[in-house]
Amino acid sequence: MTDPTSEILMFQVGARVFAAVVHDAVRIGAVREAAADELVVETALGLPFSRERGIVVATQQAEVERTLVVDQVVGIRSVPESDVHPLPAFAAACIGSGAVTGFVMVDEAPMLLVDLPTLVRERAGAAAPA
Amino acid sequence: MPDVQKPQKKPAARAARNGKASAASPDGARLASYLREVAGGEYGARLDPATFADPALRAVAEAANAAVEHVAAEAKEARARVEVVTAGVDEAIEAMIRLVIQGDLSGSLRLGVNDAALTPLIAGVGQVMETLKKFVTEIREAALQLSTSSAEVLAAATQNESSTSAQASAIHETTATMEELKGASHQIAENAQMVAAIAEQTLSGARTGEGAIKEFMGSMEKVRHNAVEVDDAIAKLSKRVERIGTVVEVIDEIADRSDLLALNAALEGAKAGEAGRGFSIVAAEMRRLAENVMESTKEIKNLITEIREATHAAKEAADGNKRMAGEGEKLGGNAITAVTGILAGIQETSDAARVIHLATQQQRTATEQVVQSMSEIEEVTRQAQAGSKQATGAAAELTKLAERLAELVKRFKVD
Repeated sequence: MTDPTSEILMFQVGARVFAAVVHDAVRIGAVREAAADELVVETALGLPFSRERGIVVATQQAEVERTLVVDQVVGIRSVPESDVHPLPAFAAACIGSGAVTGFVMVDEAPMLLVDLPTLVRERAGAAAPA
Repeated sequence: MPDVQKPQKKPAARAARNGKASAASPDGARLASYLREVAGGEYGARLDPATFADPALRAVAEAANAAVEHVAAEAKEARARVEVVTAGVDEAIEAMIRLVIQGDLSGSLRLGVNDAALTPLIAGVGQVMETLKKFVTEIREAALQLSTSSAEVLAAATQNESSTSAQASAIHETTATMEELKGASHQIAENAQMVAAIAEQTLSGARTGEGAIKEFMGSMEKVRHNAVEVDDAIAKLSKRVERIGTVVEVIDEIADRSDLLALNAALEGAKAGEAGRGFSIVAAEMRRLAENVMESTKEIKNLITEIREATHAAKEAADGNKRMAGEGEKLGGNAITAVTGILAGIQETSDAARVIHLATQQQRTATEQVVQSMSEIEEVTRQAQAGSKQATGAAAELTKLAERLAELVKRFKVD
């Protein structure tokens, strides 16, 4: 009997690597092939440098997708669910974004777990006119 | 009277000739004896006529006495005149001797004796004195001139001696200088020979240099030709590299799409859960391959970049080589021109050095002859110097003699 696992998508923005649940990503595409209005470049995770990859994320509106611009998609990994932890309250209070939901231990190093739809939504909310 | 006297005189004269008185006439004998005394210069005795018996003898005696008286008086008078004349002659001689001894010829002879017989003597002495005066005057003038001339001769001889000494010194110095000049000529001749040899060596070296420059120019031509070929090769290489770059871009694009595709495959596999596990493994493998390809293309890009930089540097170097080769050829041409000029100059130098060598050899020979001549001149000058010293000594002696003569002549007063 093996422990249940979670499939996470690891991507890099700037110098840091983040993790997301694979089901949050519709697909992975190239930034140059995406429409400009679909791109989400600057988020709570920071500003990407090379901007080579885009993680296509579905929104609440049907047939509307957003592409989160990242520097690199590191890969997909299966991690035990025991290594997935919710964000401590103190950390949640310190982090201003609700997109960071927890952290996952990968190779004995903590990696922030990001809710991609929330992240894209926050960015869309921040960019929308008042 | 003559008739009377003749018979009387004949016996007396005959008796006188016979030297013996007639025994028959003692008075005659006495008279004869007396006359013999008178004839002997004895005039002091007298006959006593009274003692003569014969009147004729008496008269003869008286006449003899008278004659003796007369002769004695005349003899006395003659002796007196002789004494006077003798005294005048003595006085004249003494006066002349005194005048000569005292040297006073200014006056005339004055005698205490005044006798007509002395007049010629006085006149003669006067003429002698006049002649002496004239001689003394002429001798004085001659002595003065001699003194002046001897002084001039002495001065000239001294000057000549000094000049001869200076000349001897100058000739000695000239001889020494000529000796040095001879040594210098020898040195110059050797140096000229050395210069000629060095010029020959330099000429040979310059000809070698000319050949080397020509070879250098040939090498520069080859370098320029090679640089052109290298430039063409670099241009071809650059085009090939560009093409490789294009191919690598395509490969990279394909790898990127493969990576993207593998990512999406892995994503879908992961979403499929356990069912997509194998699919995820294959996708992961594909992605690893794609990443390897991208890594390789990245390295190739880096290499291409390095090749581009190297090609650019090589092209610049080739251009520089072409430019430098062109400048080298130009400089080689200038060097050839310069070396040609240098060769001509060295040839002229060599010829000139040879001519100088010959000239200096002739100069050395001439200098040696001059030195020989100067040595002979020096010897002659030395002899002349000795002669000048002798002449100076003789002139000094002559001056002393002239002064002595003048002093002697000064003793005679003629004015």
